[in-house]
Amino acid sequence: MSRRGIGIVDYGVGNHTSVWRTLYTLGYRCKVTSRPEELDTMDLLVLPGVGAFPAAMQAIHARGLATYLRAAAAADRPLLGICLGMQMLADSSTEYGETPGLGLIPGRVDAIGSGLWHIGWNSIDASPADPLVGRSASESFYFNHSYAVDCPIEFAVAHATLGRRFPVVTRRGRIVGVQFHPEKSQLAGRQLLTDIIGGLLHA
Amino acid sequence: MLNQRLIGVVTVKDGWAVQSFGYGRWLPMGKPECVVENLDRWGADEILILCLDRSRRQLGPDFATLERLKRLNLATPLIYGGGIRSAEDGVAVVQLGADRVCVDALLRDDLTAVHKLSRQLGAQAVVAALPLSVVNGALAWRDYRRATDTSLDPAVLAALNDGTISEALLIDWRHEGSPGAFDPEIVRLFPARGRQLIAFGGLSESAQLADLFALPTVTAAGVGNFLSYREHAIQTLKAGLPGVAMRPAAYPTSERSCPESV
Repeated sequence: MSRRGIGIVDYGVGNHTSVWRTLYTLGYRCKVTSRPEELDTMDLLVLPGVGAFPAAMQAIHARGLATYLRAAAAADRPLLGICLGMQMLADSSTEYGETPGLGLIPGRVDAIGSGLWHIGWNSIDASPADPLVGRSASESFYFNHSYAVDCPIEFAVAHATLGRRFPVVTRRGRIVGVQFHPEKSQLAGRQLLTDIIGGLLHA
Repeated sequence: MLNQRLIGVVTVKDGWAVQSFGYGRWLPMGKPECVVENLDRWGADEILILCLDRSRRQLGPDFATLERLKRLNLATPLIYGGGIRSAEDGVAVVQLGADRVCVDALLRDDLTAVHKLSRQLGAQAVVAALPLSVVNGALAWRDYRRATDTSLDPAVLAALNDGTISEALLIDWRHEGSPGAFDPEIVRLFPARGRQLIAFGGLSESAQLADLFALPTVTAAGVGNFLSYREHAIQTLKAGLPGVAMRPAAYPTSERSCPESV
């Protein structure tokens, strides 16, 4: 029996090791790569992210990965964006000026609030009936960001509150974004990754 | 709601985890990766590695220690501080597994590099380490390389206020390693614009932590030596903070701490 393969999209920014190790210990075959021919062989793509939106999008374009990811989404391949990776799924961001995103889940990334940082452990608010995040509906996860996605309600699966309520899990078909770091959220993060990846692979 | 955090702090000197006392005396404790692995298992909210000899000796970040930590498969967020000389150093540290970086000497040497680092990693990833004491009713900022005190640089405070740096680690360096000795005046006197301060140095008791967490500017507290003096210290400290918005003590917290035979 062959293990399911996860391609971790490497665009030269951020820490892929934590994501790789977490997914590997969950039993998946994992590959960190920017090569389309290697990503093509994987069952699910993960777009991680640490840093500022413009620098990350620039790095994505420089490697030709924006076109690849859009084509993968059009082909209904499952895709999970983590933290900045979730934000890049949106249409645009205002971080350091207006920058277009991948446009895979409708939405816009804007500052949570003037001088507001969302750093640390916060609970998420989701429907217990949701097939992907229902079991994590009241769990706390580790957040580290100051910009957040604003999207139409039909794409928002879970929310968190810091001054205002904003989406922290978004979904459009087999594309999911999570604003927090499940790979750094201890047992709660492992459970959530298990549910999301299992759900997407069987969707 | 967003929880306040209990951060496990590991001081590293010459590649070894040490107990640190007042920025001037150190006792070896063991391999950093062993201490960090325990904090990860015990449910620390974040782990902070402070490699204190790197800037003084112009060695750059302790990449060897980060490489060893990378192999641990940590499930707890990691902050790294020590020897960061440039934005490129900070990015390299994150690529080796740190989630955030902590800068001290760079604040004095090249604030432009801190701004560049913030643009590359995002300000949420940048923490300012500020060794402080109270002298004649005012804050004194310790330059540990020269063993001198100055007033806080307005440019550093501006970087905190304009969003270049997300949080400030206020280190009571005089009382570091002394149980129950943290001077809360350091926090009260610090001109923070909001909830963005991490207190560290001489924090060992739940009652101390509860008083600090009641202050409107404190978002986290770091505990160092004292987590290594007793079993399940994180759980014990958290259990003594019933009124604080904090993740409940968790044990175990990772697959690695759940033996397969269980």
